[in-house]
Amino acid sequence: MNRRDLLKNTAILMGGIASSSVVQAMLSGVDGRVKIEKIIFSWDQKKMTQVLADMIIPRTDTPGAIDAGVPHFIELMVSDWYTETERAIYFEGVLALDTYCEKNFANNFLDSSAQQRIAALEQAEQDTASYKPPANKNIAVETEDESKPFFLKIKELTVLGYYTSKEGAQKELRYDPMPMRYDDIDFSEVGRQWSS
Amino acid sequence: MNLHTEYDAIVVGSGISGGWAAKELTEKGLKVLMLERGRPIQHGIDYVGEHTTPWDMPYGGKPLRELYAEEYPIQSKTHGFDETTRHFFNNDKENPYVQNPDKPFIWKRANGLGGRSLLWGRQVYRWSDLDFEANKKDGHGIDWPIRYKDIAPWYSYVEKFVGVSGEKMGLPHLPDGEFQEPMKMNFVERKIKKSIEETYPNRYMTIGRCAIQTEAKNNRGSCHYCGPCARGCSAGAYFSTQSSTLPAAQRTGNLTLRTDSVVEKLEYDAQTKKVSGVCVVDGKSLEKITFRSKIVFLCASTIGSTQILLNSKSEHFPNGLANSSGALGRYLMDHTLGYGAYGIMPDDLEKYHVGNRPNGTYIPRFSNLPGDEAQGYLRGFGYQGGARRMDWKMMSGQVKGFGVRFKQALRAPGPWMAYLSGFGEHLPDKNSRMFLDDTQKDRFGIPQVAFDSVYGDNEKKMTLDMVEQAKAMLKSAGATNVGSFVSDASPGSAIHEMGTARMGDDPKESVLNRWNQAHDVNNLFVTDGACMTSSSCVNPSITYMALTARAADYAVKALAAGTI
Repeated sequence: MNRRDLLKNTAILMGGIASSSVVQAMLSGVDGRVKIEKIIFSWDQKKMTQVLADMIIPRTDTPGAIDAGVPHFIELMVSDWYTETERAIYFEGVLALDTYCEKNFANNFLDSSAQQRIAALEQAEQDTASYKPPANKNIAVETEDESKPFFLKIKELTVLGYYTSKEGAQKELRYDPMPMRYDDIDFSEVGRQWSS
Repeated sequence: MNLHTEYDAIVVGSGISGGWAAKELTEKGLKVLMLERGRPIQHGIDYVGEHTTPWDMPYGGKPLRELYAEEYPIQSKTHGFDETTRHFFNNDKENPYVQNPDKPFIWKRANGLGGRSLLWGRQVYRWSDLDFEANKKDGHGIDWPIRYKDIAPWYSYVEKFVGVSGEKMGLPHLPDGEFQEPMKMNFVERKIKKSIEETYPNRYMTIGRCAIQTEAKNNRGSCHYCGPCARGCSAGAYFSTQSSTLPAAQRTGNLTLRTDSVVEKLEYDAQTKKVSGVCVVDGKSLEKITFRSKIVFLCASTIGSTQILLNSKSEHFPNGLANSSGALGRYLMDHTLGYGAYGIMPDDLEKYHVGNRPNGTYIPRFSNLPGDEAQGYLRGFGYQGGARRMDWKMMSGQVKGFGVRFKQALRAPGPWMAYLSGFGEHLPDKNSRMFLDDTQKDRFGIPQVAFDSVYGDNEKKMTLDMVEQAKAMLKSAGATNVGSFVSDASPGSAIHEMGTARMGDDPKESVLNRWNQAHDVNNLFVTDGACMTSSSCVNPSITYMALTARAADYAVKALAAGTI
């Protein structure tokens, strides 16, 4: 039984609550990780997102961003969660990589070599140098800055998607949902940070 | 339709105070009706967000921005508000209040059985006579009608049942309680503690005293250290109505629980000078029902209880029930929140921790203690804090680049980060108030609450010291990159709202007497935060619990003696 079915059954057991926002929220929660309401990425945008996620968190001795389904997560976030402003910055950023590669290597991004792609992404990171995040006046509340540049956006989404995935949380980092104690340990005992 | 259902007692509200009122009154043999405005929430079964894995969080745990802006603009700005907890919170669109953009007040509310007992911060500290005597000494507010000795046995009584973990310190201004094994400080926190206690003669750091069991007792489990308590705890390790007081009340067979029951007003009988009925609007059918009882305990939260009283107008009480003093709605207080400092503790990168401790460290008040009153402001503050290694969420923005080296760098946690966050006392002030806006009604036809409250000069001066002292302590403990945090948070943000129906010996100046009984209406008790005459600087809930148990004991004896 998958989580969605489990929730539906729970909803039936809960009777009157079945139609409540609680269950709706949890059901939509599953969709919020999986189902994209409306496909807006072109094939190139999809493919470039995949390549970029892999460049940011590649497969090593542990799974990488692609193994963890991160490209899909990024597409979901950009399509469903981003505001118009954020979406525009994302697509402009992808386009700028193509422009950079065409100008410097006479090829679009996808047709450029691995080294050339790295140079293009390094340039995108360089372009963030003048960016200053707005001051946060209330530490209890996480603030989103819509105008954050492209490189920081795709890096943030890759990181979030990866380290909250099963692969990233459990195989790259360590996950213990019920540790039963709080205590000092030596870092060498786990060798990785806790994912949550 | 008007059901003349008779009970011995009606308890309005099912949160921390209401749960205690129901438990105490039913255990003493009274037939009790407990009314809750929100939906039923069953222990365990309805904690649908508990143990949600990171990979099942919608949008990686990011807020659902449109929904939150539209329906939860106030509640969503609460630490811990997300898709695993949203269902416990008030929907701001469905249940609005009047917000003055020039003087915003943040009203964080639950909307379901158990109220905020499911969501609270669970820090519990006793008051001392430093707090109970403060108003009398400096002239702000009126004197409390009680002293520490009056409430001390009741603190002990409730603490044993609540299951409080903590460390005894022997400080007169932060009295010890009935404690289970304290949770542990980590290596770096112990270093900071040592530094502070060696550097400053009257400053101490301890682990937070919290309503989370470290020993399986009271038919409840001990903490599993999963971390996000507000999702609900099936083990019942933390105190909530569902885990603790409600099952106790239900075991007596004397409790009737009615959820989706919005109390509109109380009916007053001028002949008997008593509350004669509790008028309810059914939250689903909108049917109006009046319930009757010998006594009424208002435990609907500070603002909720006073809203009901202000809306209970009659010929005798044109400005709200039990309001002959005119104090009802006034002297609204909170704590100050969001001032302090943070810094990096540069060493100990081989040290780490296991477990998610739902608790931090605590530095009890040290300013303006007896014999040392010269800080340029009155009263004082305490710090909640802690030290932990910066995780991937915090570090991913710090580590430049991408690729194998970036991934490798995030394998280990970042450096230790320590922080101290102050909670400051808010002086009682007549002009800080809540009132009803008769022109704006909610979906039940009840006038909405409006606020007029700002922090005063004393609070502002105190927060400056809070920041400076926190920075100094972290620096002397060896922290680098020390920064301060300041806040533009409005009153209400600390979610410690208190006052508006204060206790006092003089009926001309106060709403409630020393037993939380209305001076004007002897079968009416208010035992939640509304009763508070001053705010101390410590987290208030355990004091509401002790006052509630004490008031219930008094009420039952008075009923038996025929004096109510």
